[in-house]
Amino acid sequence: MIITDNLTKKYGGHLALDRLNLQVKEGEIYCLLGANGAGKTTTINLLLGFLEPSSGSAFINQVNVKENAQATKKFLAYIPENLMLYPSLTALENLDYFSGIAGKKLGQDELRNYLSEAGLQEEAFGRRISTYSKGMRQKVGIAIALAKHAKVLLLDEPTSGLDPQASHEFGRLLRQLSNLGVATLMATHDLFRAKEVATKIGIMKNGQLKREFYANEISLAELEETYLGLMQPKAAAL
Amino acid sequence: MILSTFKKENQGFMRSGRIRIALLTVLLLIAVAFWISSKHYEATNRMYDSAKTSERANWDGQGEKNPHSAAHYGTYAFKPKYPLSLIDQGVDKYVGSSIFLEAHARHEAQFSEAADQTGLARFGNLSPDFILLFIMPLLIILLGYNSFTKEHEMGTITLLRSEGASFYKLALGKWLSLFFPILVITSLLFLGAGLVLSQLPDYGVFQWSALGDLYGVYLVYYIIFTNLVLFISAKSKRSGVSLVLSLSLWILSCLALPKAASNVAGHLHPYPTRQEFAAEVLKDKENGLDGHNPWNKKAQTLQAEVLAEYGVDSLHQLPFNFDAYRMQKSEEHEAEIYYKHYDKLKEQYRKQAEVYDGLAMVSPYLATRFLSMSLAHTDYATHWGFADAAEQYRVATQAFLNGNFAENSKYGEWGYRADADFWKELPPFEYDPPELSTIVSQNQRKLWVMALWCIGSFALLLFTTKKL
Repeated sequence: MIITDNLTKKYGGHLALDRLNLQVKEGEIYCLLGANGAGKTTTINLLLGFLEPSSGSAFINQVNVKENAQATKKFLAYIPENLMLYPSLTALENLDYFSGIAGKKLGQDELRNYLSEAGLQEEAFGRRISTYSKGMRQKVGIAIALAKHAKVLLLDEPTSGLDPQASHEFGRLLRQLSNLGVATLMATHDLFRAKEVATKIGIMKNGQLKREFYANEISLAELEETYLGLMQPKAAAL
Repeated sequence: MILSTFKKENQGFMRSGRIRIALLTVLLLIAVAFWISSKHYEATNRMYDSAKTSERANWDGQGEKNPHSAAHYGTYAFKPKYPLSLIDQGVDKYVGSSIFLEAHARHEAQFSEAADQTGLARFGNLSPDFILLFIMPLLIILLGYNSFTKEHEMGTITLLRSEGASFYKLALGKWLSLFFPILVITSLLFLGAGLVLSQLPDYGVFQWSALGDLYGVYLVYYIIFTNLVLFISAKSKRSGVSLVLSLSLWILSCLALPKAASNVAGHLHPYPTRQEFAAEVLKDKENGLDGHNPWNKKAQTLQAEVLAEYGVDSLHQLPFNFDAYRMQKSEEHEAEIYYKHYDKLKEQYRKQAEVYDGLAMVSPYLATRFLSMSLAHTDYATHWGFADAAEQYRVATQAFLNGNFAENSKYGEWGYRADADFWKELPPFEYDPPELSTIVSQNQRKLWVMALWCIGSFALLLFTTKKL
């Protein structure tokens, strides 16, 4: 579903992403860990077609993003760190609008079902988004992904700033989507959540994918140790 | 997506207190302006009717009188307020509504409304054309300045981009939602005006087609503003910048350029001062035939020619009153002088109008303003037409009076009096403003300019931005 092939991005002399090769299959949740500036968000922006790669390629559902970014949009949904929706519209109206952009004309019952599936309480459906917490907005984001039957979900620090309960709830929703066959790539700092939800985990540093392993092959403690070890400056490590 | 965006934007408009207040304020202003204008229209035309009837009664009731005394007693040509002046008052307020018609002299229109008002008149009136030309573009700016910038500021642009939203569809949806309230308000105003005008006494010819054309001109004006405001919003990074740029466009287009155009046109093609104009006319008159002075050189020549033509030695032997004949010839000669000098003024007006047409390429306000006034019959061209018709009527009246005097008396018989019923034989003054087809053909250049602005601004909005 998601493939990057030697994907590289340079900003002038700075190498933001260095020959990234990764693959996220149908139903997999791939968590990209790394410090700020490691290249996680650049990877997601390249997959979204917001940035053009300096070299290499990215594919969403076998469509080359650089060559046909517009065509890839119908397969993917994106939830950024702070999902911003129209504050004067209700959750139902926002979902209706964004589904409309994706070419889906949904009835009120369908819209309500998707919001329910995303874990939103029914009493909140008709409230304006301006009254929503971040966690509730993320749920609307999930509802948008559900409504468009996205095959690929790209998430950039989606649990950042969420309380543990909301974060746990979000993880549950991701697994639900995974069971539906959605391939998810999530950039995060949250090792605990990554270990909890991921099928595969990758650790990035200085634009390179340093380590990659299946989540069930490693304990949280080992993950933390590996991560911290990779993050140590070389001189200090010596 | 176009209709979804249209629906979403309108939901946003209706839920924004700022926009609800703006829309209600404009509707209230329109209602007040319209009420004031319709009362003014009715009152002015009642005065017009009353003055016309009373002046005609004065003329008809002169009793037995020498026709040349009646010629100096004079009469008035009154200009009615035409139906569409209810919407655009144009220059009517400043150009006078009646012209005194008497022997030997062509007078300017007088009794302008502005002359009857205090210096406060400089602030202008709350009229429908003020709302249509100045306030509605401001409303477009208020509703649309942040159409695109708010997507950046709220962060929704990211989701739109990730969902693959097309700029063209988003822009068209936003365009429709911005234009929709403007269309509703404008339609209500014009429909209201049409219904009121079709109920009022018919002081002029009211045509729904002319009202429809005026409506069309204003809609094109708003389309241009909608395109430009959305273009600025699409190209701006922040709402504040977009607002400042849009307001600057409004100030330049609606306030600064029209005033500059007036200065430029006046500078390039100045009118003579009233004194210079009068002096030029007087100079020509002095070199011509003086109807009241038999010893005038031209009068002597005319006398000799007439005596020779009739083969008589004395003016007393002529079968008509030579005094009246000479006065008529003098009127005809003076009328030519006036035509010549007024034609020069009209030529200056035409050249000034060309300057305005040229500057309309920079400001759509100018083309709209002049088209609106033309369609409402409140422009200078209509006023010139009225003044020319009044002058033709004056010349015809003098011929009518001098003819009676010449045919019914002998040379030197200044005591002659026409019958008391004679005055009623003079046909009343009538003036029909230009037909719609004439107005359209006279304003083709302005119509082209509007069309160019419309197409150009659409192209600017839709083809200069490809990506969100």
